[in-house]
Amino acid sequence: MPIANVVYRHREAGAPLTDAGAYERAGGWAGLKRALAEMQPDEVLYAFHRSGLRGRGGAGFPMGRKASFIPKDSALPAYVVCNADESEPGTFKDREIMEMNPFQLLEGILLAGYAVGAARGYIYIRGEYEHQARVLDAALAQAREGGFLGRGILGSSFDFDITLYRGAGAYICGEETGLLESLEGKRGQPRLKPPFPAVAGLYGAPTLINNVETLTSLPPIVDRGPDWYASMGTEKSTGTKVFSISGHVLRPGNYEIVLHETTLRELVYDHAGGFRPGRDFKAAWVGGSSVNVVGPEALDTPLDYESLAAAGTSLGSAGCIVMDDSGSMVHATLRLAHFYRHESCGKCTPCREGTLWLERILRRIADGEGRMEDLDLIDQVAGRIGGRVLCALADTGILPVVSAIHRFRDEFVAAIEEGGAPRPEPMMEVAAHG
Amino acid sequence: MTADEIRAHIDPIRDRFAEERSLVLPALKFAQTEKGWLSGDDIAAVAEAVNLTTAYVESVASFYDRLYLRPTGTRVVSVCVTLSCMLRGSDELMAALCEAEGLGPHGGTAEDGAVTIQEAQCLGYCDRAPCVQVDAEETRGPLSPDDAASLLEELRAAPRPERLWR
Repeated sequence: MPIANVVYRHREAGAPLTDAGAYERAGGWAGLKRALAEMQPDEVLYAFHRSGLRGRGGAGFPMGRKASFIPKDSALPAYVVCNADESEPGTFKDREIMEMNPFQLLEGILLAGYAVGAARGYIYIRGEYEHQARVLDAALAQAREGGFLGRGILGSSFDFDITLYRGAGAYICGEETGLLESLEGKRGQPRLKPPFPAVAGLYGAPTLINNVETLTSLPPIVDRGPDWYASMGTEKSTGTKVFSISGHVLRPGNYEIVLHETTLRELVYDHAGGFRPGRDFKAAWVGGSSVNVVGPEALDTPLDYESLAAAGTSLGSAGCIVMDDSGSMVHATLRLAHFYRHESCGKCTPCREGTLWLERILRRIADGEGRMEDLDLIDQVAGRIGGRVLCALADTGILPVVSAIHRFRDEFVAAIEEGGAPRPEPMMEVAAHG
Repeated sequence: MTADEIRAHIDPIRDRFAEERSLVLPALKFAQTEKGWLSGDDIAAVAEAVNLTTAYVESVASFYDRLYLRPTGTRVVSVCVTLSCMLRGSDELMAALCEAEGLGPHGGTAEDGAVTIQEAQCLGYCDRAPCVQVDAEETRGPLSPDDAASLLEELRAAPRPERLWR
């Protein structure tokens, strides 16, 4: 359960690394320098692959494999796009990277660009992260001044530049093809896949899209070697992962841990401090909200991709939302159903209409006007959404709803029989954060 | 805002994009900083600056929550009400803010036009829940219902920012 500092280098340094000099003194740029001086692009790509690093945005797809899909013989220039549209409920890990360690992200984008033969990168940041965007703007200016961006980087023949692009308020723009549409100046509505972005992405050109944390993991992988990275964790869950934990815990915050070393119980009780007096664990959405909710039976699950899958849920973005036993699951589930209804982009009918109905049915149960057949109706509606939509918003947005009515069925039944359910008690008395 | 002012803002980044259409969001966001919302004239000015039709630009603008096509208060206070914030008292905070302004439970614009209170989906500050964002520039938390009145007072007393980044 110890803490590691691979993407959170600023924690190791004990200070924000928002100054290029401070980043360099903390060991920054070593990966890029090594790559440009000693390694061919294919060797860098192979290092990504060997590290076992999986995408940290939620889908967990092997990063090196994704990068290897970028064709080498394309007539169009390849792009690297950093997904900084962090909007998954309960997830605030990338925010800290951008606020405190922005140069490591830039270094990671440069390494990805070098490996796949791109000359231009974009960071698509959610509009609500205006403060973080300004930190990145300043970092980009410093990096350009220091010769880390532009033509002939560090005296090599590698040219690369990065443009920051601000979103304007839409969860769906964190979906990679919705993001590309938005970056192209369109409504952020996902595309039909295939073709995947690696083949036809931004402006139809080959595009590697990775999450902030994924890209920020690359500099240490290149600098210290993929074997070092892969020595942490398990065969399928290598390296470190930041868990954001929030909700009814005493010390909400970001905790970067080696995968598999820490259990959910240790995250909740040891790192996040457990619960207020008289309250205990009821439920957790471990991987952000777009996952199956779990109860206390999952507390001893090691936090890694395969163990969480075996426990019936997923690691997702690792935005772990925790709820205590002060109130009913009905209200929490309704709140999440409201989120997906609000954020549905409207392109696919099953999602646009289905998320509306899921919220409506849950609202009547919460309001004490539910009927017993509503529980089957939720299953039916969800069953007609899943697999019938273009993107993961509704495919995974139904998971917290369906899993809640099965795992916590007694609470939904009670709400229907007793004409409503107790709301979770808000924790307003504790202002501590980690 | 005029098309010339918008052009002056986006011309320095024109060469960053293979297609001019990508400039539509930066142009809309900048055009909005003048009044805090986008009028029909603003949409037309953006369209002229990025060489797209007004209808197209409006269709894009209408997609994004943080582009406002109707007048707002001088400052927009977004209260995160997603699950992590709910478990920390966002509903009570939202209620206190709305009550202080004499607004309904889902917010709206205060009578004097000084503030708009609105619900927001997860703002990514769950470690500081419940949180609110003032325009897009500043995020605060954790706040309690008791902080509502002083926040509103402070926003009314503060000078209007030169540009309103929403």
